[in-house]
Amino acid sequence: MKRPDKELPFFFGTRGELFGIYHPAPRSMGKAVLLCAPLGQDYIRCHRLYRQLASTLAAEGMPVLRFDYYGCGDSAGASSEVDWDRCLQDTATAAHELRARAGIDHVVAFGARLGGSVALAAAQAARLDDVLVWDPVLHGDAYVATLDALQDALRRDTKRFVRPREWVDAAGQWLGFEVNPALRRQIGALHAGWHKRPSLLLDTLGDAAPHDWKGLSVDASSIRVIEPATPWDDLARLEAAIISHPVVQTVSSHLSGACG
Amino acid sequence: MIERAFRFGRAQHLVGIAGLPESTPAPVGVIVLNAGLVHRVGPFRLNVDMTRRMNALGYATLRFDMSTIGDSGASGESQTRAQQVCADVDDAMSLLQQQAGCSRFVLVGLCSGAEKAHTVARDRASHTRLTGVVFLDGFAYRTLGFKLRYYLPRVFNLRRWTRWLGRKSRELAKGDAPSFGVAPLPQDVVSEDLRDMVGRGLKLCMIYSGGINMYFNHSRQFRECFGSVMASPAVSTRYIEETDHTYVLVDDRRHLIDHIEAWLCRNFPTAHAGASP
Repeated sequence: MKRPDKELPFFFGTRGELFGIYHPAPRSMGKAVLLCAPLGQDYIRCHRLYRQLASTLAAEGMPVLRFDYYGCGDSAGASSEVDWDRCLQDTATAAHELRARAGIDHVVAFGARLGGSVALAAAQAARLDDVLVWDPVLHGDAYVATLDALQDALRRDTKRFVRPREWVDAAGQWLGFEVNPALRRQIGALHAGWHKRPSLLLDTLGDAAPHDWKGLSVDASSIRVIEPATPWDDLARLEAAIISHPVVQTVSSHLSGACG
Repeated sequence: MIERAFRFGRAQHLVGIAGLPESTPAPVGVIVLNAGLVHRVGPFRLNVDMTRRMNALGYATLRFDMSTIGDSGASGESQTRAQQVCADVDDAMSLLQQQAGCSRFVLVGLCSGAEKAHTVARDRASHTRLTGVVFLDGFAYRTLGFKLRYYLPRVFNLRRWTRWLGRKSRELAKGDAPSFGVAPLPQDVVSEDLRDMVGRGLKLCMIYSGGINMYFNHSRQFRECFGSVMASPAVSTRYIEETDHTYVLVDDRRHLIDHIEAWLCRNFPTAHAGASP
């Protein structure tokens, strides 16, 4: 396996507001991969895994673009300005950028949690040929309720704070990030009615989080259950990186095997 | 403010974002180091918010990933950890000098980032360009004062004693677990380092949080730990008991950045000082 060239960090988009890292591939397998990040603390926790996945796929012959939505990571904008529709628009912009850089029209997207939901929702506008998702958020109302409960538990956590914090100190935030009312409404209104069906759904939610994937209308053969469960909603591990070699391997095998 | 992405360093292995003010940058640049293994955006994007605020004040900034953290790779050199940290910061200073013309630099580090900033600041030979350091939850030691403040209120609490005995018996049953941590520098070495830094003209800003209350629990503990150098006008200390270690609440982060901004403007004034949005 030839070692790919070094990744290139850069800003792109019409006003240069979006940050991305492009992973060139030493040889081409005819498809490029766009990695759609989750939002909030999940984004920070998944950063290393996304980098590992990008390096693995690039080494397999698939150029990869990782990028940050407006208001996230190194992109322009404040955390309080994150907007769902802008995330979808940014995904389309990033897919366009990837096509131009890689010289490949066939683009596949991968996303974890809300990143998976973004990829599915943006599939048509971004002309995505395929989507792979990892524990995507399908029911926005339940997700909002979970984050509200976690935020309330966080402010009362005396392992974190000397004394519990007042409700007002933690209001309008989810696990370290300011959440504007519009984004809260947009996420709360999410439901699995997307046109695109993922060709691979990685399920690492385990038994602790009751869930079903019926809303996505995916075949059972497209779902891979991976153990152990990912501690997405474990407050005690809020700042622990999400690392999963099986997730990287499964995505890589799926995409390499599906390469024509 | 303009942000530019760079791959840089002696082996082109480091990745960082330079923030350049609209007007001519101040001669002092601000470099923000990784907190633990969190990539350059910092815990809850603290480093992004902080560097952008500094840019608005007229300071050029660089937030970057040190070797093998975040998006940066390894340099491929055979170096000690301290040599690697100093070389990475040297590379960062050179980049910011090249991009913004800065000749002197302030380092900002939280937790292990503060430890790295200390590693650089104690190296008097290779870092003449350093002019100030912000230590967020840097080195601290349990002093007699800490123990009195910590244990006295607990002595007559039966529930705490029961919990302590339970924990101790579990620890004994488990035996010695292997430790992979990096041994901290001894207290007398750190005290001597801080005296030496002040003696060399460095300005120090030490902000400690309630998140480390298992070994630091009062503003008096700065002096208990490090002695009379803490009373020097070159040293600013602050203990913020109500916040956690990584400033998870938005207003806590805002207040932290306010404090660092005020310290920077006081010690390294720019033409734009006080023009914070």
